[in-house]
Amino acid sequence: MSQASGNTPGVPAIQVSSLSKSFPTGWLGLDRRLVLRDLSLVVHHNEIFGYLGPNGSGKTTTLKILMGLLFPDRGSVTILGSPLGSAAWRYRCGFLPEHPYFYDYLTAREYLDYVGRLFSLPAALRAERARDLLERVGLAQVAGIPLRRFSKGMVQRLGIAQALMNDPEIVFLDEPMSGLDPIGRHLVRNIILELKRRGRTVFFSTHILSDAETLCDRVALLRSGELLKVGRLDEILGLDVLHLEVVISGVDGAVLAALPGVKQRHSMGERWRLDVEEPALGSVVRAVEAAGGRILSVYPVRQSLEEYFFKEMAGSESDEREWGLAD
Amino acid sequence: MGTGGLSRVAAVAANTFRETVRERVFYNLLIFAVLMTLSGLLMARLSIRQQDKIIKDLGLACIDVFGIVIAIFIGVGLVAKELERRSLHPLLAKPLTRDEFFLGKFAGLGMTLLVNVAVMTAGLYLTLWTVESRPDPRMLKGIYALYLGLLLIVSLALLLSTLTSTTMAALVTLCLVVAGRFSDVIRNMRVVAPAVPDWLVQALYYAIPNFRNFDFKDRIAYGDPVPLAALGWVTLYAAVYIGIVLGVGARVFRSKDLV
Repeated sequence: MSQASGNTPGVPAIQVSSLSKSFPTGWLGLDRRLVLRDLSLVVHHNEIFGYLGPNGSGKTTTLKILMGLLFPDRGSVTILGSPLGSAAWRYRCGFLPEHPYFYDYLTAREYLDYVGRLFSLPAALRAERARDLLERVGLAQVAGIPLRRFSKGMVQRLGIAQALMNDPEIVFLDEPMSGLDPIGRHLVRNIILELKRRGRTVFFSTHILSDAETLCDRVALLRSGELLKVGRLDEILGLDVLHLEVVISGVDGAVLAALPGVKQRHSMGERWRLDVEEPALGSVVRAVEAAGGRILSVYPVRQSLEEYFFKEMAGSESDEREWGLAD
Repeated sequence: MGTGGLSRVAAVAANTFRETVRERVFYNLLIFAVLMTLSGLLMARLSIRQQDKIIKDLGLACIDVFGIVIAIFIGVGLVAKELERRSLHPLLAKPLTRDEFFLGKFAGLGMTLLVNVAVMTAGLYLTLWTVESRPDPRMLKGIYALYLGLLLIVSLALLLSTLTSTTMAALVTLCLVVAGRFSDVIRNMRVVAPAVPDWLVQALYYAIPNFRNFDFKDRIAYGDPVPLAALGWVTLYAAVYIGIVLGVGARVFRSKDLV
């Protein structure tokens, strides 16, 4: 498959300006509930952009607006320089919806062929792409089985494959890891990284923070339909070391209790793990050596995205519960 | 709509047809086959003329009723099921427009009905042949008109399914079909209910599709001619009505938020 091409210099991959969306509520639908407020962001070419937020924060609504499934109340969107109403960008994008459902009377191969027809791909290319993609997502062995016999994870893998059928320049993925086992997640992570290597842009929403931390060049953080922050992870989280994690051995617990700058200590059999404030590291090392102990490791601990989010979400317990931290 | 658009409509139509085949919609043909075989056997004792009339009556009624049931109950589910299961979300993010999707669904069910009607027609001719009745080419004209009526029902079912729930859409479509079969009753409503304003009677008469226009069953059963001019008029009536209904349906679907 070819490298991404046709990007106009200075034109972002995705530009969202002052986007707002509300839905009717109440018996007669006369009231409106605002789910996106004045959202503006830019996604550059060839970056992996993570769109993060708790359930109900507006991630899927944003993606549906970007894909033309919902109409915004206000604001504008351009994708690859084309407005949403234009058909041009649709040939150059792929989309995986959240909890996808595909026609269960079709086989995976038939479904991909159908998708290829919508892109007006010739039959030989459709067959070749379908074969390659099913191989990539690990469904080659079940390509001829009706989708009604697919597990949730297999459907999700097919969802990834259909999003790539047109070899898109931008791929929009709504919760791509949902329903996948560890092997499936590893596979999807690799596909996302491979897309970036090949010059593609990936915009994906997730509430699994570890995925965002390992994959994303930049992230946007969304809360209750409002954009909290956009930027590189190191910009958002800061590079400051929160504390140092020092693992030692051969020292009595009573000695450690008297050490200044030790925030916490945890016994690990014959060893201790100490959370040490950065300025106090020298004095702690000297004290341990003076007591006849050994320094086994020193590891700087920075703020994780998860910690950042909990801090930002403080006061909103319901939001915290929505986070899939177990994932 | 360019060639790309037409090929996408064809792709949606072909997939819709495949859906009806794999969801066993054509099982109704088995019931039809049983009915035709039974009627052939039971009619054996009657005179040729009586056999001919009863088998034609029964066969045409079956084509009509089975067609209406498929047109309504699958027609209302075509788009509604896609909305409910969100299976159209990944498709509409592709170059497929909503108009193309809507039209493709209509064309797909039209193909299903065409195959259904064609197989039943062949079965009906076969049954008539087994009782040694002469082939009657006028039946094809009547069946053609029935098919146009079925296409109109599909377009109504599609329109209503974009406006309301599946159950309500099926119910309203069925009511329209029944009302359209009794359009003369609507026209003469003031005879039994003089209080009803004339404008309302006229509005109802012209707004509700007149399904009697598509019914040539009696003429065929009694051996009356079916003039080509009548078929031409019915074709025009169906084309205009279907065009308007599909146009309104596509417009509603085009502006719908797909939650």
